[in-house]
Amino acid sequence: MIVIGGGVIGAATGYHLAKLGRKVLLLERDFPCAGSTGRCIGGIRAQFTHDLSIRVMLESVKMFSELEEELGRGVDWHQGGYLFLAFDEARERAFKEAIAVQRRYGLWVDYVGVRDCVRLVPGLDTRGLRGGAYCPTDGQADPFKVTYGYLAGIKRLGGTVMTGTEVVKVNTRGDRVVSVTTRRGDEHHAPVVLNAAGPWAAEVGRLAGVEIPVEPDRHESLVTEAVERMFEPMLVDYRADGCYFVQHIGTGHFVGCYTPEKLVPGLDTGVSDEFITEMPRRMVRLVPRLRGVKVLRQWSGSYEMSPDGNPVCGPTPVEGFYVSGGMSGHGFMFGPAVARLMAELIDCGEPHLALDQFALDRDYGRREAMK
Amino acid sequence: MAVAKARKKRVRTREGSSPTVVCRCEEVTEEEIRQVIREGHDTLEAVKRVLRTGMGHCQGRGCLRTIARMIEQETGRPVAEQRWPRSRPPLKPLPLGMLGETARRVKGER
Repeated sequence: MIVIGGGVIGAATGYHLAKLGRKVLLLERDFPCAGSTGRCIGGIRAQFTHDLSIRVMLESVKMFSELEEELGRGVDWHQGGYLFLAFDEARERAFKEAIAVQRRYGLWVDYVGVRDCVRLVPGLDTRGLRGGAYCPTDGQADPFKVTYGYLAGIKRLGGTVMTGTEVVKVNTRGDRVVSVTTRRGDEHHAPVVLNAAGPWAAEVGRLAGVEIPVEPDRHESLVTEAVERMFEPMLVDYRADGCYFVQHIGTGHFVGCYTPEKLVPGLDTGVSDEFITEMPRRMVRLVPRLRGVKVLRQWSGSYEMSPDGNPVCGPTPVEGFYVSGGMSGHGFMFGPAVARLMAELIDCGEPHLALDQFALDRDYGRREAMK
Repeated sequence: MAVAKARKKRVRTREGSSPTVVCRCEEVTEEEIRQVIREGHDTLEAVKRVLRTGMGHCQGRGCLRTIARMIEQETGRPVAEQRWPRSRPPLKPLPLGMLGETARRVKGER
């Protein structure tokens, strides 16, 4: 089997395919984590509104908690929780409705009052705050350590990982995939090719004549210096000028980002002056005692957006050519569970949790509200 | 407010030798760097992603050149032909409060 893409999705799916006894060749255009995975801030949560996302993430959280043992190396997994803040009645109601659905699947999640928010985040500015949706089992991990761990696992299980190897052709015979050709001109044959190219998924799909409805847009982030631990949960502020940030427990750095009001489509990974001033304003507004913490760096990466903000996972019209993408900013957290399910789907056609609602040919009308 | 460094890592010392620390911000030794280069992480970007070299306070000003030379020694790829990680603002660490104040002024808030 050939996996195109050395981010978390490709690495983890390749690992689970290898575990199922398949011979895996992973081809990465640049170096591992060079795309979206290496630019994400590492948050992991099961607080979604789509029932399949909730179920997949419940599995993923469990897998993250066992990942160190599975991969034989540390991944900085820490369950600090996620706290989504509500500043108006509509948001409060939406969170409470989401919680009802999430609880149905067994997620430990609560709507907490302002006093509990402050207990979770000492120093939180409570002006206008009504409460928040809090899930203590959500958490964080290091995207690099996770991805490199999976890649090492592929090699340990007899697979091959080739970096600096861009796929420029996906070759088909009749309606099935037979091989891929790299920029160096080498041809690799396999009955199965998985498109795990993240923000390049549409591009790689077109190589096989398949339309993948995934479009990248730019999200900016920043990281601060390492400081003593100040609070545990990822803070999510959904206001129009909100943001989300978390302190990495392993290193002590704060990392955070926001979705720009005006989307910046494309694969550009440049940075803006607006973000490097506006993001700090939003962070300090929420937690004033952060004001003395210094910013080290800003960067950006691509969210690979599907039309409804849910993953695109499954077979394509070309037999043997699969896609796992459109993660819409959640590829790292979905990674372990989606990878195992996709490996099962490819291996025997029947994953233990049906991925039909994420299928390429679904109706894209059901938008994820907790993006 | 105390902004002490939350650093737990201790530089590992080989028996009878003193380690050479190449990346001082993230406390990464020459030995660790050479090892990951030999494992195939043989570009500045790849070493950075495995060991966090250049991700700390100095953003690589202190170590990247040295690591590039080590990559040259290990792989034969000259320093001049290596791809450098991008420099990103703010270049010198600046407090969140100060940066946020700039945004408030631009927006005309008090």
